[in-house]
Amino acid sequence: MNARIVRLRDFDPLLLIAALALVALGTMLIYSGSLSHWGEPKASDFSHPVVRQGTFAAIGLVLALAFARADYRMLGVLSVGLYIASVAALAFVLLFGDATYGSRRWIEVGGTPIQPSEIAKLVVIVALAKYFSDREEAIRTWRVLLTSLMIAAIPAALVFAEPDLGSAVVFAAIWLGMVIVAGARWSQIFAVIGSATIAVPFFFIGLVTDYQRERVALWLDPERDPQGAGFNILQGRISIGSGGFWGKGLTQGSQTQLDYLRTETTDYVFSVLGEELGFFGAMLLFALFVVLIWRGLRAAELSKDMFGRLIATGLVIYILLQAFINVAVNVGLLPVTGIPLPFVSQGGSSLITLFIGIGILESILLRHRRFNIGEFYHNG
Amino acid sequence: MLLFGVLLLQLARIQIMEHAQYEAQAQSNRFRTIPVLPARGLIYDRNGEQLVENEPILSAAVVPADVQEEKFLTTVAELAGVTGVPPQEIGDDIMRARDSNDPFTPLIIKDNLNETEAFQLRERQGNLPGVHVLVESVRQYLPGITMSHILGFVGRIDEEEYAELRSEGYGINDRLGKAGTEYTYEAALRGSAGYRKIEVDAAGQEEREIAHVDPRPAGNLALAVDADLQRKIAEILQNGMGPSQNAAAVVMDVNTGEVLSIVSLPSYDNNDLTDPVNQEALPALLNDPAKPMVNHAVAEVHPPGSTFKQITGTAALQDGIASTNTTITSYGSISVQDEYNPDVTWVMKDWAALGTLDFYRGLAMSSDVYFYYLSGGFYQDGVEVFRGLGAERLASYSREYGLGAPTGIDLPGEASGNVPDPDWKAETYKDSPVASDAIWTLGDTYNFGIGQGYLTVTPIQLVRVTAAIANGGKVLVPHVVHAVVDENGNVLKAIEPEVQHQLSISDQNLGIMREAMRQAAVYGPARTGASSQVTIAAKTGTAEFGQQLANGTYQFSHGWYSAYAPFENPEIAVTVFLEKGIGATNAGPIAKQIFDYYFDRQRLAQTEGTP
Repeated sequence: MNARIVRLRDFDPLLLIAALALVALGTMLIYSGSLSHWGEPKASDFSHPVVRQGTFAAIGLVLALAFARADYRMLGVLSVGLYIASVAALAFVLLFGDATYGSRRWIEVGGTPIQPSEIAKLVVIVALAKYFSDREEAIRTWRVLLTSLMIAAIPAALVFAEPDLGSAVVFAAIWLGMVIVAGARWSQIFAVIGSATIAVPFFFIGLVTDYQRERVALWLDPERDPQGAGFNILQGRISIGSGGFWGKGLTQGSQTQLDYLRTETTDYVFSVLGEELGFFGAMLLFALFVVLIWRGLRAAELSKDMFGRLIATGLVIYILLQAFINVAVNVGLLPVTGIPLPFVSQGGSSLITLFIGIGILESILLRHRRFNIGEFYHNG
Repeated sequence: MLLFGVLLLQLARIQIMEHAQYEAQAQSNRFRTIPVLPARGLIYDRNGEQLVENEPILSAAVVPADVQEEKFLTTVAELAGVTGVPPQEIGDDIMRARDSNDPFTPLIIKDNLNETEAFQLRERQGNLPGVHVLVESVRQYLPGITMSHILGFVGRIDEEEYAELRSEGYGINDRLGKAGTEYTYEAALRGSAGYRKIEVDAAGQEEREIAHVDPRPAGNLALAVDADLQRKIAEILQNGMGPSQNAAAVVMDVNTGEVLSIVSLPSYDNNDLTDPVNQEALPALLNDPAKPMVNHAVAEVHPPGSTFKQITGTAALQDGIASTNTTITSYGSISVQDEYNPDVTWVMKDWAALGTLDFYRGLAMSSDVYFYYLSGGFYQDGVEVFRGLGAERLASYSREYGLGAPTGIDLPGEASGNVPDPDWKAETYKDSPVASDAIWTLGDTYNFGIGQGYLTVTPIQLVRVTAAIANGGKVLVPHVVHAVVDENGNVLKAIEPEVQHQLSISDQNLGIMREAMRQAAVYGPARTGASSQVTIAAKTGTAEFGQQLANGTYQFSHGWYSAYAPFENPEIAVTVFLEKGIGATNAGPIAKQIFDYYFDRQRLAQTEGTP
């Protein structure tokens, strides 16, 4: 591993600030969303959603700084081990995990539920980056392309079986984005996409469970079960629609405060935002994501090596796609999937994974210059 | 950027363009308007005796919209466990109500919960959103069996009624009057609903009250009916009805049309039929051949027999067919040659050979031959020797007296009865295989004249015939309710005496009838009803029915007695009907006891009043 010059001036404060601003906004929404069930948060009450989220954010921040300080190339060395561990964890969840709302996604570790699929997404990004960067030109061969596809497909299949269709789609998108950046031939990419498109109908009939089919059917027509499974879809849309341009004010949304919204601190936290902060609040949220993505892409561009560029690209796709899917579900453009809104939704696994991602981006930025005359120190 | 553009467009669409629609949906999520009914109006008799009470009961209910999907089966199972209603039924009902346009109105699973059931349900309520224990109000009728036909009962609104009445603010769980005055005075007894507007959470639990409008108190009924008299007459009639399957007696104020008593036997206990219905008592009530649930005083028709001579007599006087001096001799029967077959002669019997009779005596002795003459005339060898009224004139007078149409009494289910005439017979028998069946004969007119044959009336129709004769020709609309009053007894709406129409018969001619009926009560068959307390004027009736026996009489007869008193200054008219009996022998003594009780009680009250 070559020694790199690390310049603190290359630390991107805007990236971290955008992430922290999203967490702050999210915590406010979680506060409002949890009021009716939990009341005002007390610092000593670790089970309160606001306290939990604050705690995870603090841990996440520490981890982000630690990963920024560490050389991201070290991850390349660990990638095989991390990948095997992640796939094992996903398999474990599938066999022994706790079920919520009809799917197994959680394992309990020391009393804290962990969702391995979030961490697995980060690991797949690293693994793919490592695999491609070791084979720069060979990406144009079918063997490498299909092997990379397998790297993404194994965890995707495991989360799909949970069942978590949304996360499986995220894996697919991460793979696609990284393959493009890695320099695969467009003809190859279209061939893969083409065969996938042909496979979709068979896949939908053969592999998709009734549970997932019902979700799609409900998305197409939530009125078919307004009190049951269609309830969230309808109530989410009512919440957002009734918010109008300026919203009803934080903690003032009748839909949120009277419990018409369910999972209002996690999957449907955007509906709380839509109701209480309105279209204005949504634009603010989007602006923060735009900043985050812009700074992420900048990191990809500045990265000195293919490994860093691929990781940064994967992370940007990961954040962008999760944000898109979550909001699209809330506004009724996609069927319900259970994808959290990055940095905003309540959830330790997701938050910590995201902060690690920010740390890795910063690590890439800190190490993007070979020569420097200013203050520096050696790392590794 | 493209992805966020799509999201922004969708957001702009639902938050800005369709904002109003979602705002309205959020509001309707949040607010519910719950109608608040006033306590149902009470009912008192004419002397202020309370006849009805409202009693609270507890009911198991569920708001279908509030049952959470994941708790659906638990909710159904718990409700079934506590109430004993089959879970399948509960589940189906909830599903159906959810799909209806009103899933927010509580669905009553079972009413009249006992204390244990209510307690168990209240314990589980907290974990089962949508489940409630409701306090509902039901009727308790204090007089029991004696006033059931007057008071009626209330029941749950049925689907048909709901479809019709929902626009008037009736809810799916409301109770409403189904019979008696509960039915006819439903609007007054119900009052007008107020409402509460409340904010509810997603589980349907009330968060706070936004607004409320108090209901307007319902009206109470002050009946014209005298509960004490009613009880006494029920007892008298019960003792005197003999083998009759059913019997009725009506006492009406001859000047106002107020019904002081209206008894129909057998009766039923309306506490069994008011909601919640006593299911054990129901089959017996429905299957009883004596039809206890039918008010025989207003809903059943029978030929009136000789009591109809009140009408034939006054009509004949008014049309100049008869005067006080018209004398006719009864040899016990008259013979009528068949109009179509001269070889056949019909013999129309009188009840006895009464000799030569003038108008007074003809009526007082209730001579059938006398009234055959007045109604159909008399022919000898095809030559008219006495001119009668004819069926059309008789029918016309009958309708003037209010026969053949409902009296308009404020009780439901009234029958019209039948006033026959040649047109009616032609229409009714037009499809008969024997063509002559449709032709009106002289015999038909004779039968009509003495209140037999095709003529049918209800006791309430007959009592106002007698009252019209007593009061100088006013055909009154009978009323069992005196007034709608507020809780302090102030009259909200008086039920004013209503003269349906004035008879075209002169008071002089009515006076002749009054005198004839007075004589009937002195020396005629009607003397069996003469009271020791008061002078009465009366007419008996015995209408034959059933199989004709070898001697020309019939197997059974209905016994009637219709009278008024005091003769000098008429106050009340009384009509007694026995399904089986003879007017003079069986109905008369019942009327006598009614007059005795009524005027004895009146005399006692006056003596007490002036010490």
